[in-house]
Amino acid sequence: MSARILSPQTLARSHAPLLDFLAPRTIPSRTSPPSRQRQQLRRRRHHSTASPVGREASTQNHAPTPAQAAASSLAPPTNAATGPVSNASASTTSPPTSPRTTAPVHQLTPTQRAFLSSALRVNQTGELAAILIYAAQSPLLVRKHPHLRPLMKHMYDQEAGHYAFFNRVISKHRIRPTAMTPVWTAAASLLGWSTAFLGREAAMACTEAVETEIGTHYNEQVRVLLDWSAKCSERGESLGPELESLVAELRRIRDEELEHLDHAVENDAKEARPYEFLTEGIRAGCRGAIWVSERV
Amino acid sequence: MPATARLSSTIIGTSRASPSRSLPAFRQRCAYHSYDYAQPPPFPPAETKILSSAYAHVPEHGFTIDALKLGARDAGYLDASTNLFPRGVFDLINYHLVTQRLALKDSVQFPEAKDGKEIGVGRKVRSLTLARLRANEPVLHRWQEALAVMAQPTYIPPSLHELAALADEIWFLAGDQSVDTSWYTKRATLSTVYSATEVFMTQDTSKNFVETEQFLDNRLQDLQTVGGFMGKLGEWVNYTGHSTINVLRSKGMRI
Repeated sequence: MSARILSPQTLARSHAPLLDFLAPRTIPSRTSPPSRQRQQLRRRRHHSTASPVGREASTQNHAPTPAQAAASSLAPPTNAATGPVSNASASTTSPPTSPRTTAPVHQLTPTQRAFLSSALRVNQTGELAAILIYAAQSPLLVRKHPHLRPLMKHMYDQEAGHYAFFNRVISKHRIRPTAMTPVWTAAASLLGWSTAFLGREAAMACTEAVETEIGTHYNEQVRVLLDWSAKCSERGESLGPELESLVAELRRIRDEELEHLDHAVENDAKEARPYEFLTEGIRAGCRGAIWVSERV
Repeated sequence: MPATARLSSTIIGTSRASPSRSLPAFRQRCAYHSYDYAQPPPFPPAETKILSSAYAHVPEHGFTIDALKLGARDAGYLDASTNLFPRGVFDLINYHLVTQRLALKDSVQFPEAKDGKEIGVGRKVRSLTLARLRANEPVLHRWQEALAVMAQPTYIPPSLHELAALADEIWFLAGDQSVDTSWYTKRATLSTVYSATEVFMTQDTSKNFVETEQFLDNRLQDLQTVGGFMGKLGEWVNYTGHSTINVLRSKGMRI
């Protein structure tokens, strides 16, 4: 399935102007009830989450796609077009080294700057909430289910890395942090603790709901940034090394968040009772928090 | 977002002479700051020319419409070109505020590391604030007039925006990395300290403004005392809360 999605032919056939391979349309199907789809998805994702090696392999698989996509259909013949995209996909680990010096860097419009500010503010807030949720869940969960200790630690460590990254981005680019930090701190801790109190399944359903929303949010940002990048290259401009490496980072972080989502589903998130109520409630809460944090 | 912006512009627009310039400026503040390209200058070229030559007349004529007219003449424009500045004198004051704020970046340089030890953020804030206060020196005998203009109800919001921008600039240049509520408290407290010191400075007759410096140090000292107490209080609450929960857990409670 992944091979089919990733093949350039499929990409060329779909007329979407933006060809981010994990575009949001895959996400609703991941959380919507039909269980066959779910099974397929689980099988598909399973190999990618089983081990670090598998994950590495899967990112290796994913990596060339955007470049192929750019080559297949975005594909303005100028070099500048492939610059940002291949840069973003070049690697999830190494920051791109001095990309294009020829194309002038696009000056962000006030609207674009406002979008970046609110999006990055939400990201930082989201990661803060995520580490608080995991920190509140861990003691309760691990006590009842000691085998979950490495998983919880792994997820927590990744979130802590994301949080540190967005903290750096926010203070470097002079973005105002959200004024609601105390509220989100309390809410996230309470959410983590109460779902863990309800049991393993509820905690995993919480993770599933939260990561779905966060994944969607990251996907939107990646899409918007790639859209800017495409428009810039049409004009012969480049998006600048900062934003190009930001796209790469956002993709890496999004993939890690979706990996957490898979872990949650593998750990019986679907068994939680009442499942719909829990996940829909938490997702609505997340969307509300995102809406508020974009503004305040 | 557009809805709220429209709402605020209608509200503020009724009470302000020209909302058109300051509102985008307000929205741009604390927005994403890119390092990939040089920041555009704060004023359009023609305005910059007139304002900078008008600014040279301020020590003599004060922050008045006369200074603006003389500046326009010096720059080779008609007297009527002061119509570029619907806010009149306030635009001249605003020019001073904005240019001096942006000049801080270049006027204050910190050595990389002294004896392998970084200068503390607090010390940096102090020297940046002092540098900004000293930038008022050439126009200090006219500064009370300027403060009076800034205190007019129409101009209070843009003046406060500019004050907030200055506090933000100082904390940013000092290398502060806070991303929580202290981001707000730091800027708010520095704004109050700065404006109090600025008013004090207009009445300072001591040599080389040593009394102003003393005044600033005392205010910053107060801040540190209060801030340190709040920090310790938070730490204590945090520690007590965690240990309570851990004790209960160790007693076998399923929480």
